[in-house]
Amino acid sequence: MSKLVCKKCVLDSEIPGIQINKDTGLCHFCETYTPLSSKEKKEYLTRIEELFKQYGGKGNYDVIYALSGGKDSSYTLYKLKKDYPFLKILAVQFDNGFTSENAIMNAKKMCKITGCDYFQLTMEKEILYDTFQKAAESYDAFPKFAKYRASDICNVCITIIKQKLIEQAIVQKAPFVVFAFTAGQSPNPIINLSVNFIQWSRNLFEKQLQKIGIEDKDEIFLLKKEVLENIGENVPSILHPLCLWDYSEDKVLETLLEIGWEPPGINDSNSTNCTLNSFACYNHLEKYGFHPYAFDVAGLVRSGEMPREEGLEKINQELSQPLIEEAARKLKLKIKSSQKIVVKV
Amino acid sequence: MEQIKNDIVDYLKANSFMDNNSSLKDNDSLTQNGIIDSIGLLELMDYICEKYSIEIPEDMLTPENFDSLQGITNMITKLAK
Repeated sequence: MSKLVCKKCVLDSEIPGIQINKDTGLCHFCETYTPLSSKEKKEYLTRIEELFKQYGGKGNYDVIYALSGGKDSSYTLYKLKKDYPFLKILAVQFDNGFTSENAIMNAKKMCKITGCDYFQLTMEKEILYDTFQKAAESYDAFPKFAKYRASDICNVCITIIKQKLIEQAIVQKAPFVVFAFTAGQSPNPIINLSVNFIQWSRNLFEKQLQKIGIEDKDEIFLLKKEVLENIGENVPSILHPLCLWDYSEDKVLETLLEIGWEPPGINDSNSTNCTLNSFACYNHLEKYGFHPYAFDVAGLVRSGEMPREEGLEKINQELSQPLIEEAARKLKLKIKSSQKIVVKV
Repeated sequence: MEQIKNDIVDYLKANSFMDNNSSLKDNDSLTQNGIIDSIGLLELMDYICEKYSIEIPEDMLTPENFDSLQGITNMITKLAK
């Protein structure tokens, strides 16, 4: 049967589990899609402001912020501080050993511009390389749905960030952890965590690490048990304000360039901060046969935040061979060097 | 009880957590069988709260209540009373 591409987003029938309705031409996600209305978004934003006012000003920080130095997180930090200038924010940048110098410079610059504190979280490069090598070599270590959201490498990286940011929030008695996820990446604007859920998530990640061959006995990646045991009343909530704001890549870039953020020097259409991303995409395509950004991009297209043509272009763009080769060398992994690495649609 | 189990399986299949042709026993672990992770759990919780008009108290967010079809069904039955 020939491949069908959803008429509304960018998903196609060759992606495992995706069905396109022949009558409507839509994938089952688009058929059941109910976006947040403007009214609902406004209500969420009002609720977030109320939460900031109710719980802010009590700990060392109000917000622990995940700052990659890329465009989305830089913009969200800028707008967050502009809309809520009273917030005391600690921006945490995870240097995963592949964070570009430009991203580190941009992150520090954004903190200076917004008056936020900056903290760089990192580990020994050898440990990070070994971890990502194992993630790349793993197969089916993450649930099916996680593979739709991101590559195995990105899933490991983002889960480390989540674990360590929640840990930081507990230590700093900060009531909120903020991520710059778009509507395509996370549909839930407010996530109230509970101790049980944090404990459960930690244990799940511990098992996933074990599955790829990592015993994190020193809790380098995992939320430290000792911190969790002393959590007391300081259970943070996770907020995703970017998914409530009007989003367009052009608008985000225009705003950032005006305030002095510098465009990345890396040739990757899906990341403006991580030099491992192209390899992670290549690795995912080789293992599972579809682009790890397909669902993210489909979400943006579905919600009208990205034109469909642009979405299709993004997931069909040739991956950067030099970036893939450089990452493979660092991870001591082999790649297929003789062919062009292009996503097939 | 069976209706709740069918609803949950339909949700998991419709949202690509599991394949249409795969089956799930009542006490199979959703996390250990690679069906769901922590983000998936959050989405499943949202679905359950909305579908059955219930609020899940914090002390019920445990693997016993959320990691199998039977656990989820028992929890919903208890809360929906």
